Amino acid sequence: MKDISLQSVAAPVPVRAGAGLKPKHYQAIIEQQPDIGWFEIHPENYMGRGGPPLHYLERIRADYPVSLHSVGTSLGSHLPLDTAHLKSLKSLVERFEPGLVSEHLSWSHGYEWYTNDLIPLFYTETTLKLIVEHIDQVQEFLGRKILIENPSTYLQFKQNEIPEQVFYVEAAKRSGAGLLLDINNVFVSCSNHGWSLDEYMSAVPHDMVEEIHLAGHSTQDLEGSTLRVDDHGSPVCSEVWRLYENYINSNGTVPTLIEWDSNIPEFPELFREVCFAEEIIRTANDQYHEATV
Amino acid sequence: MTSTMKPLSELQQLFCDGLRSSEPPAQALLEEIVDDGLQVQRFNVYRNNFIVLNGDALADMYPVIKQLLGDEAFRMLATAYVREYPPMDRALLLYGERFAEFLAAVPELSGLPYLSDVARLEYAWTAAYHADDAAPLEQRQIAKLPSDELDHLRLRPHPSMRCIGSVYPIYRIWSANQSNRVDETVSLDEGGSQIVVIRPKAEVEIREMTPGALTFLQRLASADTIAEAYSHAAETEPEFDLNTFFTRYLFDGTFCAL
Repeated sequence: MKDISLQSVAAPVPVRAGAGLKPKHYQAIIEQQPDIGWFEIHPENYMGRGGPPLHYLERIRADYPVSLHSVGTSLGSHLPLDTAHLKSLKSLVERFEPGLVSEHLSWSHGYEWYTNDLIPLFYTETTLKLIVEHIDQVQEFLGRKILIENPSTYLQFKQNEIPEQVFYVEAAKRSGAGLLLDINNVFVSCSNHGWSLDEYMSAVPHDMVEEIHLAGHSTQDLEGSTLRVDDHGSPVCSEVWRLYENYINSNGTVPTLIEWDSNIPEFPELFREVCFAEEIIRTANDQYHEATV
Repeated sequence: MTSTMKPLSELQQLFCDGLRSSEPPAQALLEEIVDDGLQVQRFNVYRNNFIVLNGDALADMYPVIKQLLGDEAFRMLATAYVREYPPMDRALLLYGERFAEFLAAVPELSGLPYLSDVARLEYAWTAAYHADDAAPLEQRQIAKLPSDELDHLRLRPHPSMRCIGSVYPIYRIWSANQSNRVDETVSLDEGGSQIVVIRPKAEVEIREMTPGALTFLQRLASADTIAEAYSHAAETEPEFDLNTFFTRYLFDGTFCAL
């Protein structure tokens, strides 16, 4: 494993529940100062030259730690990383001093244009080498460690030769990156491909997991079988809550984010989901303390 | 495993071709997907995401166009636009830059000749929203200057400023389609619009200007002195009154600090 020394960050993301920051909620957050551990942003939404989004983020950052969750690096593309994009990312890292920086295990451009969607990787040794190189380059450029997130996928390629969870962990081990474990994505992908949830979850070394994501998904009927689509447009489903609770209770607590990116509700509904996660973290911590007293 | 392993570049391009195409996915692409009889449906989730996610970005940028055309027609045009001009930037903030030009070339829309200019106005709104910040010109900066130097001053409009001229009453069309004023009707005989889109403070403002005021601002933006810009403005509009203009706009954030 490569050694990427953990630099001290100005405002580390606490082991609490956080929420994805949405423009719709800027005012409510600034006015109400809700008791939320941290917020996460997609840096690409703050890559304008100036204007209100950056001002709001500055105000919110003054009161909360933040995490940058990038969607535009396209780590798994055969094309080289985009230096202009990395520069924008770095300037946001320098300006907002996020506690965590993360990116997806996916790709989003095959030509010069971008899909603006996260496309599944070909799980081969060739792609693994490529993505490790790209993660290295990002970490080198930013001068810090990043986390990589397991994807939600709807199809598999015949070329795949490495199970997703093995590929995911191996990419992080070889590059010195940490893991962002998206439990909804694990549930969605396992369900869509008939993989074993236990096998997937037990392949993920807990000491590498630095952040957890939870979100809602929708379902589609594909000629009698159910396809789960990760649209972040509803509350977290009960199976995913159970999976999360089990994970936290048996492994320990981790900063946990509620993502809600489509059909975005008013702030109180998002806050309620954050409180559910916070309650699970608190209960797990209490049990741990009781057990060690 | 397939008998002939395609290189990653070819596989990714095959996938991208399928996303962008209006045709069903190519056989060569389907052959790369694990065969469970549902490859087409599974691939279509990605194709649909590509159209919907980028189409949503267009809908966010062009709410008035969407209102004028109706949801269904807007979706169809957005889909065609996304296929023709997929995002070139990893940040989608300014995605849709060529939508005005695209709309102008759609033969079925020739009965709505103002549409393209309204789209230019909406694009300018978003561009102004994300433009550079700048400190405003303040009274004390001007007060320090000897009065005979004022004429030779090169005032810099706020970097968010966009000027738009149209032969159609697009300001009124735009205003009538803001959510609270949907019942208003606008006649195309009302004449043209000269508009300045600017973000002098926190909010983007859309201001209808006289032809002289628009010329004055455009000349200042291209680094004319006040005297030079004024002479062009007076040519465009003999009644253009500099005092009235400055009383209103000199210190409201329209201009940057010296």
